[in-house]
Amino acid sequence: MPDWMVWTGPTAAVFVGLGLLLCGMAIWARISPPVSRRGFLRIETDRGDRLYIGLISAAAVLAGWIAVTDLSMWLALAVAFLVVLAIGMWG
Amino acid sequence: MTATLPSRRTEPAAEDRAQGKRRANRAWFLVLPVVVSVAFTAVIPLMTVVNYSVQDIFSPDDRLFVGLEWFRSVARDPEVRAAFVRTLLFSAQVLLLEIPLGVAVAVVMPRRGLGVPAALVLVALPLLIPWNVVGTIWQIFARPDIGLGGWAVNNVLGLDYNYTLDAGDAWITVLVMDVWHWTPLVALLAYAGLRSIPDPYFQAAQIDGASAWATFRHIQLPRLRGVLTIAILLRFMDSFMIYTEPFVVTGGGPGNATSFLSVLLSKIAVGQFDLGPAGAFSLLYFLAVQIVCYVFFTVLTRTGR
Amino acid sequence: MRRLPWARTVFWLYGITLMLPLLWMFGMSIRPNQDILGSFRLIPERVTFDNYVTFFTDPVWYSSYLNSIVYTSMNAVMSLVIALPAAYAFSRFRFAGDKHLFFWLLTNRMAPPAVFLLPFFQIYQAVGLFDTHLGVAIAHMLFNVPLAVWILEGFMSGIPREIDETAAIDGYSLPRFFVRIFLPMIRSAIGVTLFFCFMFSWVELLIARTITSVNAKPIAATMTRTVSAAGVDWGLLAAAGVLTIVPGAIVIWFVRNYIAKGFSLGRV
Repeated sequence: MPDWMVWTGPTAAVFVGLGLLLCGMAIWARISPPVSRRGFLRIETDRGDRLYIGLISAAAVLAGWIAVTDLSMWLALAVAFLVVLAIGMWG
Repeated sequence: MTATLPSRRTEPAAEDRAQGKRRANRAWFLVLPVVVSVAFTAVIPLMTVVNYSVQDIFSPDDRLFVGLEWFRSVARDPEVRAAFVRTLLFSAQVLLLEIPLGVAVAVVMPRRGLGVPAALVLVALPLLIPWNVVGTIWQIFARPDIGLGGWAVNNVLGLDYNYTLDAGDAWITVLVMDVWHWTPLVALLAYAGLRSIPDPYFQAAQIDGASAWATFRHIQLPRLRGVLTIAILLRFMDSFMIYTEPFVVTGGGPGNATSFLSVLLSKIAVGQFDLGPAGAFSLLYFLAVQIVCYVFFTVLTRTGR
Repeated sequence: MRRLPWARTVFWLYGITLMLPLLWMFGMSIRPNQDILGSFRLIPERVTFDNYVTFFTDPVWYSSYLNSIVYTSMNAVMSLVIALPAAYAFSRFRFAGDKHLFFWLLTNRMAPPAVFLLPFFQIYQAVGLFDTHLGVAIAHMLFNVPLAVWILEGFMSGIPREIDETAAIDGYSLPRFFVRIFLPMIRSAIGVTLFFCFMFSWVELLIARTITSVNAKPIAATMTRTVSAAGVDWGLLAAAGVLTIVPGAIVIWFVRNYIAKGFSLGRV
C-alpha cells in the first residue's frame, strides 16, 4: 500500500470487515437467491437493500451520538448494531 | 432506468423474462472498466479520507492515531453547525422560490411553432454556463458601481444595497443568482412533463368550460407530480453542495454570511490543509448526502417515473 | 389546448430578464476599463475589442482556455469509451449485484466534490499526474462516468432487444454487432453523452483547480485570480466569461430536445 494512504490498524480492519461482509453476501446470494419483501420500512427490500439501509442508519446513529453526548462510543456501537439487526430482520 | 430498477418485484426469473433480459454474470466483464475507473477516482480517495479522519498527521511517517476525536470536534464545532443550518436554510429557500417559478415558466412557454426551439435554447442557456462564470456574471451585474442590477436597486429602487459589505445583501445576491441559474432546469423538466399530457385532456376541460386555473390545478399539476419530485430532489442535492458560485461572488463572506458547507470544507481542506478535521468533516458531509441520495433513489424508482 | 392570452408576453419577458445579466457582461467586455469604472452608462460609449485581443495574446489566458478544452475533450472521450460497454451490460443483462452497482455509481455522482479534494491532491502527486491534462481528465471521470452510463443506458433500453437476437442469428459476434450495428443506432445518444460530459467537466472548478498549478491550469482558475495590484480587470474578466460560454452556446442547438432528459439523468 502506498504510504500516502496513511493506513491505520483500525481503519484497515473496518475495510477488511466490509469486504468480507460483501463477499459473504455474494456467497449467500449464490446459495439462496434473495427474496424481496415488505417490512416496517414500508418499501420492498431484499437483504442487500436492508444491509445498506442498516449500515447507513448505523452510521447516522454514531454521528448523532458523537455530536450530542459524551457517553461512551461503545454504547453507541451497541445501539448501532441493534439498528442494523432490527432493519435486517424486520425492515 | 426502470429497466434495471424494477419498481415491482416478483420472482427473479419471471421478471427477467418480462424485461427480456438475460441472466449472464459474464456481463461483469463489460462493467469492469467502469468499476476500475470509479475505484481509482472514488474508492481509494474515500478510503484515504477515512484514514485521515482518525489521525493527527504531520507527515506520512509522523502521525498519531486519535480515534474519533476529529469527529467529535467537527460535529460540535459551532462554525460547522452554523454552516450546516445555513446550507439547509439556503436549500429550503431555493426550493420555495424555484419550484413554483419554474412551473409558471413551463406553463407559459410556447407549445408549438417556431417559438419552441428558440424558447428551449433561451431557457437552457443559463444551465450551460460554467459555474464560475455564473459567479462572474453576477459579481459584475450586482455591483452597485458598475453593474446594472446593483445600480438599479440603488438608484431606481432607492435601496442601500452592496453585496460586498452587507451580509443580508450578499445572501440575497447568492439566492437570486441561484434562482436565475437553476429555475430553467425546473422549467425544462416541468415543460417536458406538460408536453406529455395528451391533448384530449385539454379538449375535455375546454368542453366543460373549465377556467385556465382549474385546468392547471386539476389536469396539469397532478400530471407533473413525477417530474416535480425529480426537480425538487435535484435542486435539493445541488443547492446542498453549492460551492463555485458563492465562492466567486462573495468568497463565503462578508464574515461568513455565505460560507456554506462546501465552502467551509474546502477552506479547511485546501486553505489550512488540516487533513484530520477535513477528513472527519468530509465523512459527515458524505453521510448526510448519502442518506438524502438513498431516499431520493428510493422515491424515484419505487414510485415510477 | 387553450392558452392564456398573455402567456406569450409573460414568457418572453422572462426570457429577456434571463438574458439581462448575460448581455450586461457582454457589454462590459467591449468597453475599455476606464469607461467601466469611470461612470455608469447603459450603452457603451466607446466600443473596443481590446479585452478580447488581450485574452488571445496573453499566454496566461489563452493557454488556460486551451488547457480546459484539452482536458474536457479527453475526459468526454474517455468517459464515453468506458461507459459504452457498461451501459450495454446494464440495459441487456441481469448479473449478480447489478442493482447495487448502479446505485453505487449514483452515489459517486452525488458526492460533494469537496470531499475528494485532499486525497486527490495526494494521489495525483504520488502517481505523477499532478498538473497534467490527463490527471484532470481522470479526476473528472469521478462524476462523468456514472453520468455517461446513465444517459447511455436510458437510450439503449429504448432499443428493442430483438435486434440483438436477429444479429446473433445472422452470425454477428457481440463486439462486431456492437460496433457495426448498435453504435450507429445510438448515434444521437453518443452525441448527447459527449455533450453532457464535456459540459460538466467544463463547468467544474474545485477539483480542477486543486490538482493543477501551471501546466494544466483551467480557465476557471485563471478567472478567479484576476485581482492584481491595479484591482480587478473587469473588462478582461467579462471577455473571458463571454468566451467560456461560447462552446456551450454553440452545441446547445444540437441537443435542445435532450436537455431536460440529460439534466434529470445527469444530476441523478
